[in-house]
Amino acid sequence: MTLPLWAKASAPEATPAASSSAQALISALGQPAPARTAFAEARFMQVLDRPLVVSGELAWLGGDQLQRRVDQPNQETATIADGEVTQQRAGKAPRHFSLKRAPQLQVLLDSFVALLSGDAGRLQQAFQIRYTGVASGSWKLVLTPRDAAVAKSVASITIDGDGKQSRCMHMQEADGDLAIDLLGPLSAKMPAQPTREALQALCQGVR
Amino acid sequence: MRHRQSGPGQSGSSRAGAGARAALLIAWLLVLAGLGWMVSQRLKISTDLRSFMPAPTTPDQRLLMEQVGDGPGSRLLLLAISGVRPMGPPPLAGDVPSDAPLAALSQGLAGALRKDPSYTQVLNGSFDLGALDPSLLPYRYLLSPTLDTQPLDETYLADQLQQRVDDLSSPAASLLKGLLPRDPTLEVLKLAERWTPAKSPELRDGVWFSPQHEALLLVQTRAAGFDPDAQQRAIDGIQHAFHALPGSAGTQLEFSGPGYFSVVVGAQTRHQADWIGRISSVGFIVLMLLAYRSLSSLLLSALPIASAALAGIAALTVAFPEVHGITLAFGFTLLGVAQEYPIRVLSHRRAGEDAVQSVRALWPLLLTAIASACIAYLAFYASGVNGLKQLAVFTIVGLLVAGFSTRYLLSHLLPVQVRDVAQMPWLMKARAFVDRLPRPRWIPIVVTLLIVLMLALAPGPFWQNNLAALTPLPQDMLLHDARLREALGAPDVRYLLVLQAPTEQGVLALSEKLQPKVDALVAQHAVDALELPSLYLPSVALQRARQKKLPDRGTLQRALGQALQGLPFRPDLFQPFLDDVETARSLTPLTPERYAQTPLGQRLAAMLVQRDGHWLGLGTVSGVHDVAALQALGSGASVRLLDLKAASESLVAAYRTRILQALLIASVLLVLTITLALRSLRRAWHVLAPMTLATFLVLAVERIVGIEISLFHLVALILAGGLGLHYALFFERDTGDAAEQRRTLHATIVCVLSALLVFGMLGWATIPVLRAIGLTVSLGVAFHFCLSILMAPHADLGPSDPLAEDSHARED
Repeated sequence: MTLPLWAKASAPEATPAASSSAQALISALGQPAPARTAFAEARFMQVLDRPLVVSGELAWLGGDQLQRRVDQPNQETATIADGEVTQQRAGKAPRHFSLKRAPQLQVLLDSFVALLSGDAGRLQQAFQIRYTGVASGSWKLVLTPRDAAVAKSVASITIDGDGKQSRCMHMQEADGDLAIDLLGPLSAKMPAQPTREALQALCQGVR
Repeated sequence: MRHRQSGPGQSGSSRAGAGARAALLIAWLLVLAGLGWMVSQRLKISTDLRSFMPAPTTPDQRLLMEQVGDGPGSRLLLLAISGVRPMGPPPLAGDVPSDAPLAALSQGLAGALRKDPSYTQVLNGSFDLGALDPSLLPYRYLLSPTLDTQPLDETYLADQLQQRVDDLSSPAASLLKGLLPRDPTLEVLKLAERWTPAKSPELRDGVWFSPQHEALLLVQTRAAGFDPDAQQRAIDGIQHAFHALPGSAGTQLEFSGPGYFSVVVGAQTRHQADWIGRISSVGFIVLMLLAYRSLSSLLLSALPIASAALAGIAALTVAFPEVHGITLAFGFTLLGVAQEYPIRVLSHRRAGEDAVQSVRALWPLLLTAIASACIAYLAFYASGVNGLKQLAVFTIVGLLVAGFSTRYLLSHLLPVQVRDVAQMPWLMKARAFVDRLPRPRWIPIVVTLLIVLMLALAPGPFWQNNLAALTPLPQDMLLHDARLREALGAPDVRYLLVLQAPTEQGVLALSEKLQPKVDALVAQHAVDALELPSLYLPSVALQRARQKKLPDRGTLQRALGQALQGLPFRPDLFQPFLDDVETARSLTPLTPERYAQTPLGQRLAAMLVQRDGHWLGLGTVSGVHDVAALQALGSGASVRLLDLKAASESLVAAYRTRILQALLIASVLLVLTITLALRSLRRAWHVLAPMTLATFLVLAVERIVGIEISLFHLVALILAGGLGLHYALFFERDTGDAAEQRRTLHATIVCVLSALLVFGMLGWATIPVLRAIGLTVSLGVAFHFCLSILMAPHADLGPSDPLAEDSHARED
């Protein structure tokens, strides 16, 4: 993310770190709201024969409020507030639905807000956290939802980061669908015809 | 002395007596026990108010009788779950209380109740795809209005599919992913939106919430709204299901709605009547002990009343399949007259005289009293109202049993040694006082003028037609209801839009035709929402028309193929969609019978009623702002707005007319009976005039203080009239015996005090029904007592010294 000046590079170690070092990392990442970052997302879904690509901006507005604005290919804004999702498209009446019915969003909210606010406790409450750091300074957090209902739909979230920046977010759904978000400056590098492998490579990232 | 006085017939019985008396008592108690057992075996109490109503005459009244209990509005319970605050520190900067636990409870409760057939509809804001039976899913093309304006062609499909692509890249993706292959145009969601109440509360965590952070639910019971017992069971069922949910501890489940109110009002009335009853019972016992100084007399004199009540109920169980709760309540009230019989016997005992003898002397008069009360109550039987017929059977049987058991059973059981009340000094003074009272002939004229004046000047309407006003709900409960109703957009219980057609399909077609006008009314804010039956099920004709617009498989496949050009969907993805449309083309249109097997069909079934060879559709109305605009929808036979309040008031008025007619007949019969029994018009006048004047005086006094007269006042007036008749009959009786006159006064004073005690207590009740009865009877008893004394003929005693009379009586 452009946003995170993910503070003090306390993490990077060659070995899988204990959860305490993950906590140290996360709590070091906190920053004040509102925080914004560009994103480009590719969704690989079973119902589709090629991935869907959208791009726009993600914003944490403070509290439990998150906004996902899509600029390409069609304008759309989704806002999460008070457990409800409001979806707005140009020229259409806004659509509302409960966060409960969109577990992906719940996961996004939990992980994103926790990371941005540096609230390791909250992250730990929602997910099992696996943390890996490598000597080069890049790291990986694998989050597995603890809530059984959420886990039924979202298998895991992987966040790839590099020093003070997180570069990618993978959301692996239980039915095999996958969404990969390129975050911050990396979002500009979304290929026109992305493949899982190409994106994977981008995320692992040669700087 | 006692023995000397006893007649030859009695000496044997009073002597050998002890054993015989014990045997008689035991036999009597055994019969009572037997009656009690029979009653407990056979008695079925009905609480449905409607069986206590007169047969409805107008179509609106008939509809009311059904709707009052069965209408969709009256079967709705409004539920609010509140009370959880999150544990531990607030999650983040914003410390908004979490609604999630309440939402989970709401979902859990809704899930449990949906499985229970006692509840025909459970709404909590979460759309449940299960509401549409999976086997009915292909019907979505016949139920949804999409096809009316939009063919399933390439242009439409292309537009829809492009929107689905956008959906898939949006947060809503997970909602639609599963639906997509089968329903790319999202007909199921369109139907869900259609079936969600128009003005629904805020959704949080997927369920309805009020601004006060309560999770809200709407539950429609199968049980009728005016059947408090069935409603109690339905409410208990909900509470049971709620408390079985994990996490329900520490939370509160609150109810509102007509059914809940009927339960609360019933319980409150019973509670208040109970504690008042307990206090006045104690007072009554104390009074009787003071009056007669004999515990055994007290206990024994309870037997005729107990016999009357048991025999009355037993007669009801034989004559009617179900006994109405109100019959029993009114009946026990009216049976209050019977408590006079033993009191009269006790007061008229002479020292040393056998009870059988005193009763014998009293019997002709007592019999007249019993017969006239019975004849008056007989008029209820002719009213034609089932509940009043029951009342007549109960009271007549009760009074006869009380009278005859007093005469032929109680008299043989009473202790032989008693105190003659005639010797009590205070009573002598009282009698002397009464005898000295002036009894001017102008009293009736003055009282009549007073009555006319008060009635003419009385404020407000004469009659209270609103039954609900007599059982008002606590203000906070009404406010709570209004708040929940507003938040939930729940239908008004007062108005119904009634559609009438020869057939069920005709009603649905009419409903479809009306829909645009209704939409216009909602747009004008004349009404917040008006739900018509066709919302849930279109007519067969409309379903057929939609069916005809469905393309055949080849056409649809080609259109879909074209529409998919350039979109990322897997080409074979929409096979289930093609199959469903193909199935829908050959479906037999849904009829209400078939539909009735699904939860939504149950909702529809409540809106369609068959009666007398035609069908009625009932549109529920929420938030009425402009009644005139609603009425303008139609006033003919086919469409009309039913005002349940107006209909119920006209029903009450009709009911009252029946009672008044019955009273008129009763009065005529009473005049005849009394005149025949006393064989003198003049004497009949002395009995009937005070009673009539006192009755009207009560009415006038209640009116001048602004009380509107209800059915309960009328019933209470009848009871007071019955008591007053006794006072007048006994005061009128001229025995030419001062001691006997004193006994009469004693008996009457005990009767008046006990009636004042029991009904005066009721007059303090906060529940208007109880207060109406209590106040009316108390006033009545007082007026009857005073007027029957003032209008009684002067005892023809001459100037003779009462004490001398007395000593004479003692010695005789």
